[in-house]
Amino acid sequence: MAGIDTGGGGGGHGRRSVNQELPLVPFIDFLLCLVMFLLVTAVWSQMARLNADAQVPGPPNPDKDIDEQKKEKTLHVEMRGERKFDLVWKEGTTVVNTIEVEKKQVPIGNDGEYTYPDLAKKIQDEWTQNGAHRAGTDKKFDQAILHTDNTTPFQDIVAVIDAIYTPKRQIKIGTQEQDIPSFNVTFSVN
Amino acid sequence: MSNLKALSRFEQPIAVPGRRLLHHINLDFVRNKVAGGGRRSVNQELPLVPFIDFLLCIVLFLLASFSATGELPIDKNVKLPSAQNVLDMVEAPMVAITGTQILVDGIPSGSTRAIEEANRLQRIDELFNVLKSKHELWKQINPGKPFPGVCVLQVDKRVTALVVKSVFQTAAFAGYPQVSFMTKRIGKPAGGHGSG
Repeated sequence: MAGIDTGGGGGGHGRRSVNQELPLVPFIDFLLCLVMFLLVTAVWSQMARLNADAQVPGPPNPDKDIDEQKKEKTLHVEMRGERKFDLVWKEGTTVVNTIEVEKKQVPIGNDGEYTYPDLAKKIQDEWTQNGAHRAGTDKKFDQAILHTDNTTPFQDIVAVIDAIYTPKRQIKIGTQEQDIPSFNVTFSVN
Repeated sequence: MSNLKALSRFEQPIAVPGRRLLHHINLDFVRNKVAGGGRRSVNQELPLVPFIDFLLCIVLFLLASFSATGELPIDKNVKLPSAQNVLDMVEAPMVAITGTQILVDGIPSGSTRAIEEANRLQRIDELFNVLKSKHELWKQINPGKPFPGVCVLQVDKRVTALVVKSVFQTAAFAGYPQVSFMTKRIGKPAGGHGSG
């Protein structure tokens, strides 16, 4: 067993021993109990979330004049086509630019799931060129609006939202800088 | 060995490494017997210190990954889609869509049948009432605090966009504009915190 030995013998000449034995067995027992408890209660969750914003306007403030809102560029992702996505930059109702991206699914795993890496790359390029909110102190996000068919399966919607969230920017939260998706996604009403 | 003896002449707070077991037994014949009597000793020293180090490492790892919030309730019938650019889960009302049933924190709160039959986007009244009452309850419990307005949708990957959008719209009407979709995480996580 572990102990502390001062090398001066076992406390001879009638004096109290200065050597000490450390009780390691109860300490090991305690550690084992702790390990068991933590293993039993451990949660290795693979769950996560994709955020979306319903764009509900806040209540108007009667004390303030209504400011003229500057029309910002929004990215409209049209996923109703069978073979391609349409990425449309709009300022209000004015179409600024339209880009077509081939609808190419890349499977992930064996569960029939897939991603759209081509769409993700194109959205990344588009945000690099046209994104308005880039500064770390800017709390606003560029807006992406998703246009879907009523029969589109949820898996397809998630794959497209995942692609829209590919471009990221650093934002200061408290004292830390974190990578946050550059776009805020909402749905269009058909 | 002469080196050890030379060292042990001085008062040292920490002993020279060496045998500790049977150190104080004065009965020579017992010591000889136990020590093997000239043969190989049958006693073995257990290396307890590395064992304790190993246990401490496990304890520290488990403590670091310990979650006090517990496991998230997931319906067995719901097959979640996977995504890469995700955020960590938050504590919020959980709206699950399983088949035609809608559950809020495990309690039945409406059906999707009416939406599928009408084939158009519409508000689900039962879900709206349940979420609205949760919203009001939160406000009563936390007076003066800003309501986060976050809810999490646990949707099966085969559910159609019409149902998802109807539930999304209903949640927004009930005071939950920040709607998150629960997914399985694949690849590298995007970061610890989200905008919602």
